[in-house]
Amino acid sequence: MKYLRLFLCLVALSLTACMSHLFTDTTTRLQVENKTDVTILGLDIVSEDGTSVLPWIRDSIEPGEKSRVVEEDWVGTFKVRVRFDKWNGKLLASVGKFCATYSTPVRVYALAKQGDPNVFEKDVKGCGEDDVHMVYTETTLDFEGGSQYLIVSQDEDGNVAFKLK
Amino acid sequence: MKNGLNKIFLLLVMVAGVAFADPIPTEALTQGGLVMRDRQLRDIGLVMRGGRGGFVDIGYTYTPSSEQLQLQSKYGVHDGFAFRHHYGIFGSWVLDSTSHFGFLTWFDRAGWDSQDFFFFPHYGDFAHISSALTWGFSYTNTEYDVTAALGLQHQNLEKAGWRVYPDENDSLLFYWAHARYKMVGLQASFYRSTFQTIRLSLDLESRSLYGGAGSGFKTYLPNLNATIYRRKTNGDDDNFIRLNWEQNLYKQTLYADVTFDFPDDGFRSAILKYYPDPARMIGFEASCLRRHEFAGSKDLLWGGAIDLLFFRLGYNSAFDYENMFHTKGTLVAEFRFQIGAVDGKFFGRGAAKPAPMETTKNSIDLKKLMKARAEQNSASPKYDAQGNKVIEAKGIRYEKTDATQGGH
Repeated sequence: MKYLRLFLCLVALSLTACMSHLFTDTTTRLQVENKTDVTILGLDIVSEDGTSVLPWIRDSIEPGEKSRVVEEDWVGTFKVRVRFDKWNGKLLASVGKFCATYSTPVRVYALAKQGDPNVFEKDVKGCGEDDVHMVYTETTLDFEGGSQYLIVSQDEDGNVAFKLK
Repeated sequence: MKNGLNKIFLLLVMVAGVAFADPIPTEALTQGGLVMRDRQLRDIGLVMRGGRGGFVDIGYTYTPSSEQLQLQSKYGVHDGFAFRHHYGIFGSWVLDSTSHFGFLTWFDRAGWDSQDFFFFPHYGDFAHISSALTWGFSYTNTEYDVTAALGLQHQNLEKAGWRVYPDENDSLLFYWAHARYKMVGLQASFYRSTFQTIRLSLDLESRSLYGGAGSGFKTYLPNLNATIYRRKTNGDDDNFIRLNWEQNLYKQTLYADVTFDFPDDGFRSAILKYYPDPARMIGFEASCLRRHEFAGSKDLLWGGAIDLLFFRLGYNSAFDYENMFHTKGTLVAEFRFQIGAVDGKFFGRGAAKPAPMETTKNSIDLKKLMKARAEQNSASPKYDAQGNKVIEAKGIRYEKTDATQGGH
């Protein structure tokens, strides 16, 4: 009896010290379903300051379609960016900005509050870098690992809604 | 019922320990090699106080949950495990009656990975795994009370995920030397022709373990060490000095350990350590560390640790913060074993006195002692308060007595 308890303790210990990957997932296998009426161009993980971007789903997803399953090491809480070709709902109000070098307008839309429009449009032209035109939304998602299914849809207010299963 | 309550309490503590944990920053991981190398040289310095006998220290940290020590990268918070596996071994041979030749090796492997492991890491995309190995030879002459040691130090980067860590050099070769004359020690480590650290130690406290006094004012003298660290800030030399003062407060069981950084940062940490036995097999500590992240009292990290012979449990302790990548807000458990031996006596790291021996030697002594005491008793008779001679009966003896003499 004494040895049985010791044995069980050792099993528990080794399971939580070097074998925990047998029951915890260290990768996320993500599939995205597009329930909006526009095309999703891709899904990226964005750094908190917005300067670094790592693509996750690179396929274009037509309305009503599903993406392929892509496995990546993202387990935890991350900022996700979903890019669209256009957006038929409301866009965020414009914040006027001027490029210092060429005085060409750079349109950047500010972050939305709950219930406000949450789709950004970024339009950068002639600022010395490549011209960028992008319609996208950003949200923070908690990936638990394993097989996860993300449904992107449009709610009745015309904003993007996410559902992670 | 009571047992059940204890279990619930333990569970609550564990949940709280995980729930309030702060993720560890990637910057702390990239500095890991430097921290490991410095701690190994400090450990070697402690063992070289005697420079003979042997020392073993082996352990690994145990963090059971993948949400306990998450990683904070620029992309967010990653689930995973911070780990630290280490050993340190020193052994010496007696060459002649005064000379001792020793070999030492210290090894640390530490970092963060998305899976936990004993030997074979998963090498996830955000893993950072590096190791440091210090080895060398020592020579001690007990007649002059001198020790000289020198060797090499290897810092090896096994894996650093390119997405979140800056480029680091791999497989760096450092070399180090340590010299001690009585209570003064000098230690230096170099990379090519530039120094990394230079440490001057004055271990003035008298230690009965190494033939010093066991009590008295000499045991209350301080242990001081000053280390010059090479540091670069924006490409310019920005060296700093770390001053460390360990002070015996009560009978070599209660110590204060204070650290200051010069010239700029000032107070670094203060630790109050209590060892129920001066051999330091078991220890309790309370620590306060200044993190240089905020202003005022918010910057101070208060914590403590319980150090049993095979197990150490710390919460926000200064040691864990510095050696486990700025871990805070969680319980850090470590399975470990460390013991040193000099002249057949055992002690823990940095101890002043050997552990009391309670094995076979004592039982032989006990017999001799009893015999000696018995002889002593028969030789010198005892006297009671009135000055009458008292003879103690040994064994029971029945004697026939005469009724006329008043006997019963």
